[in-house]
Amino acid sequence: MSSAISTDHGLRPWQLFLLAGMLAATAVVLVSSGRSTSSVVVLSVTVVAASLVAVAAYRSLSPLVSPEDLVPDAPAGSRTRAALEREKALVLRSIKEIEFDHAMRKTAVGDFEDMRDRLKVRAVGLLRQLDSTGYREAVERDLAARAGAGVGVGVGVGVGVGVGVVASAAAAVPSRPPAPGPGVLSRACQECDTPNAPDARFCKACGAGLAAPMCVACDTVNELDARFCKGCGAPLGRPA
Amino acid sequence: MATLGQFLLLLAFVISAYAAASSVAGARRRNGRLIESGIGALYLVAAVMTVATGVIVHAFVVGDFTIRYVQRYSESAQPLGYKIASYWGGLDGSIMFWVFLLSLFGASAVRINRERHRELIPYVVATLSTVQMFFLTLMIVHNNPFATYLTESPAAGQGLNPLLQNFYMAIHPPTMYLGFVGMTIPFAFCIAALITGHLDDSWLRAVRRWTMISWFFLSLGLTLGMIWAYEELGWGGFWGWDPVENAGLLPWFTATAFLHSVMVQERRGMLRVWNVTLVITTFFLTLFGTFMTRSGVVQSVHAFGEDRQLALMFTVFMSAVLIFSFAWVLYRLPLLKARNELDSWASKEAAFLANNWVLLFSALFVLFATMFPTLSESLTGERLTVGPPFFNTWMTPVGLILLLLTGVGPLLAWRTSTLANMRQQFLWPIVSGLTAGALTIGLGIRVWSSGLCFALSGFVVGTIAQEFIRGAAVRQQTTGTDLFTAMVGLVSRNKRRYGGYMVHVGIVLMFMGFAGEGFGRDEQALLKPGQQVQVDRYVLRLDAIRATEDSQKQMVTGHITVFDDKGSEIGKMYPAKWFYRSRPQEPTTEVAIRRTLAEDLYIVMAGFELGEQSASVEVHVNELVNWIWIGFGLMALGTGIALLPERVLALAGARVGAEATASVLLLCLLLAPAGVLAQTASVGQGAGTGTGTLVFRSAEERELANEIMCTCGCRLPAGTCGMMNCEGKAAQLGKIKALVAKGLTREQVIDTFVQEAGGQFILSRPKDEGYHRLLWLMPYTLAALTAVGLAVIARRWATGRTEASGLGMPAAAGDAGLQQRLDDELRDLD
Repeated sequence: MSSAISTDHGLRPWQLFLLAGMLAATAVVLVSSGRSTSSVVVLSVTVVAASLVAVAAYRSLSPLVSPEDLVPDAPAGSRTRAALEREKALVLRSIKEIEFDHAMRKTAVGDFEDMRDRLKVRAVGLLRQLDSTGYREAVERDLAARAGAGVGVGVGVGVGVGVGVVASAAAAVPSRPPAPGPGVLSRACQECDTPNAPDARFCKACGAGLAAPMCVACDTVNELDARFCKGCGAPLGRPA
Repeated sequence: MATLGQFLLLLAFVISAYAAASSVAGARRRNGRLIESGIGALYLVAAVMTVATGVIVHAFVVGDFTIRYVQRYSESAQPLGYKIASYWGGLDGSIMFWVFLLSLFGASAVRINRERHRELIPYVVATLSTVQMFFLTLMIVHNNPFATYLTESPAAGQGLNPLLQNFYMAIHPPTMYLGFVGMTIPFAFCIAALITGHLDDSWLRAVRRWTMISWFFLSLGLTLGMIWAYEELGWGGFWGWDPVENAGLLPWFTATAFLHSVMVQERRGMLRVWNVTLVITTFFLTLFGTFMTRSGVVQSVHAFGEDRQLALMFTVFMSAVLIFSFAWVLYRLPLLKARNELDSWASKEAAFLANNWVLLFSALFVLFATMFPTLSESLTGERLTVGPPFFNTWMTPVGLILLLLTGVGPLLAWRTSTLANMRQQFLWPIVSGLTAGALTIGLGIRVWSSGLCFALSGFVVGTIAQEFIRGAAVRQQTTGTDLFTAMVGLVSRNKRRYGGYMVHVGIVLMFMGFAGEGFGRDEQALLKPGQQVQVDRYVLRLDAIRATEDSQKQMVTGHITVFDDKGSEIGKMYPAKWFYRSRPQEPTTEVAIRRTLAEDLYIVMAGFELGEQSASVEVHVNELVNWIWIGFGLMALGTGIALLPERVLALAGARVGAEATASVLLLCLLLAPAGVLAQTASVGQGAGTGTGTLVFRSAEERELANEIMCTCGCRLPAGTCGMMNCEGKAAQLGKIKALVAKGLTREQVIDTFVQEAGGQFILSRPKDEGYHRLLWLMPYTLAALTAVGLAVIARRWATGRTEASGLGMPAAAGDAGLQQRLDDELRDLD
């Protein structure tokens, strides 16, 4: 929320409040001449803090009355994306770390491959999620949702949340779970709509058994071990 | 101003209630507006608490004595820094300061994580707000820092306790509180994860960072407390197992356990229930510690006095926290099932399990021993004393086991270590440990605990050095650079691991400092101007005793010149007593310390006679004590490296890495000569050769002085009481001397004291007989219980279902394109 990007918005509320706070602090300094320096400093800091109260009060009340369902102060897609990027970096780093352990001859071959493969599955899931939260696609989906959806349907923040173990932008906030990108294997629970990891057999929220994967591109039901959709050939993200 | 302050506290309470309600409602109804508003309300509480803090600090600065709290803890003559520090000098203010820090910490945690853990945030906000509400309730109904005098207010303040008018007062409590308060954040995330059921590993990542930050502040707070005790209290030590110190140590143990076991969950998907339990327990222990010290259930030098109503409120809240959290844990047990099994006891997981066992044992042990006096009072009506000797007896071996594990853990592999792997990994560390042990024996150290500690230190340093060197060698092969660059790259690429190793080296240095206590020396001497005594290899000459004063206090200072045993002057030292005008009956001890890497010369002026110009001084030679502080410095550096964000690129990482490696190398270089110096210094003569009188005490007397409590109310054994001209101490020591001179055995002397006092409270640890055996049995019982608990866990692991499908999945998940991209990215990652 830097002032550089706020030019088209004019004065932002928080800037206004802070400015008012600083003016009040200056007034305090002028009025309390003759008092000890330390008390004037504490007073003016307190007055500036009071302006922060105003900023926070505005921050707390404005979402209740704003026309949008959500009031994020930066494009949500980009922030979710950044979070996913960080997550991916972490997983890649972990893979590197266990490869390193193996090079230091601390792990047996079988164990090493086991752990590495698990992390790779996670990394691939994240890559796929990152693809589906592509900025351009996000905007397009956003537009499509606005055009196609009826009144009251939220835009959704974590546009195109995929699957993956780390479903960081899962559905607590949006009023409806957003649609995954094309080619992404849907593993949402049919009972409760909770998105599940691609390797899950039971839903993590309600325990219901998860059905065979359905291709999101063409709705064809595929076998558990299918790698590509038998209906349209889209990749399904399941190992052979 | 007082009215404004009260209004702000009420406002903060109302907003917290709103934040909790709107977040929960928003999460249940999936209403983004309510959730966002709840987050805003959490920020708002932080802002309101900041203004309230401004108001009370202003009252302290201008000396608004109409406010009771200000009048009690401040006075006009106090320097500005202490006026501000008085904010957290008393009970009411410390609770308010607590809420202030919690609101700031909570607001920043939510702000940082609100995107990454969107599904958790509403419940995090609700949990944080509820905890804030509890503390705000305490203030509003019971301990209002803005309460005013109903009648005419006094014109002058009483002033902060002189003992607290110390530089560390400005930094020790805030860091301690930060550590305590910070543990609320992991708890809030844990509860949110339990409620939402999003119990995969992602919530742990947020929690691990915040636990590490809080753990760091807790360690810093504890270390600052040690320095404070060492420099200000004047009994020559740094840790007295006082209930309040223990209260800080309890969550430290469990947080340390969590930081280790969380790795097992991240790597192997095990210990999930255990980790959740540790987070909850840590939070509970911060509450319990506060409860212990604030409600007067235990007696302590820093307790705030008895307060039954506060005790009741805390008990209700703590019970609610326990019931609520563990009910959720039980409800979510199916989601917390381990994804893996324990393959072998020769694995890293098993080492972590052992580490958790020892840490949990420590926490339970310290908790029980701290509470034992209270328990015994409620059971038998007799309040016993459980003093430092009891704790030391037990915690010394526990600490050594922990030290051993520090060295073993890094050498083991995940899942299982083959014999060949282990032989290769353990060879050099064991050689290093044996060398250190042999060196210790060669230098004539005959204290088993210290000797073993040095040997184990050698083992751990060997382990870590090997990890660095082998790691660098592997990296050198893959990158083709020189060894040093490889090492720098190593640290910057694996910040968590190598940062952690640095923390371990820091711990080793601290342990060496603790071990030094085992062979320090202390003597009491009576001196008149011109007289001199020899203690160890130092000759001390009293030149004069002078009285001076400033606006706040009178200062009586002993001027002492110190020579080495060859007669050349080393320097001048000035131990003193300060008498504050506001509290003349509570003089403070100003210790004179001459620090070297090998040892400290520590002089306390225990008493003086201005007319006669005579002084009674206590001289301690404390071995290796500075390594504790240096060790902490390294610990801080290691934590900093481990906390560096993943995005800090190679350049920044490499720079820090270089510094860190350099400091490790430098410390290793420094270590060797310091050890040698310490040993030679400790083989001194000790008998006085000058004209001053060195109070002679036999080994038996010294031991007994540690067993018998002082009667002045200092709550320390007679041998370590630091009060000035303490009559209780003098009487006890005199009696011990007389009884020993009569030829009584140790047991007989102890019996005589118990008989005369009419109870065992006079002993620093109860005798191992009668129902007091309960206390002595307790450590064994605890160890057995925790061992059984862990055995059950391990058994369940070993026989648990093998959900190999989850992790045994071939790497080819996803299409070939993605797989190819992953491999490319991995290759580019260097």
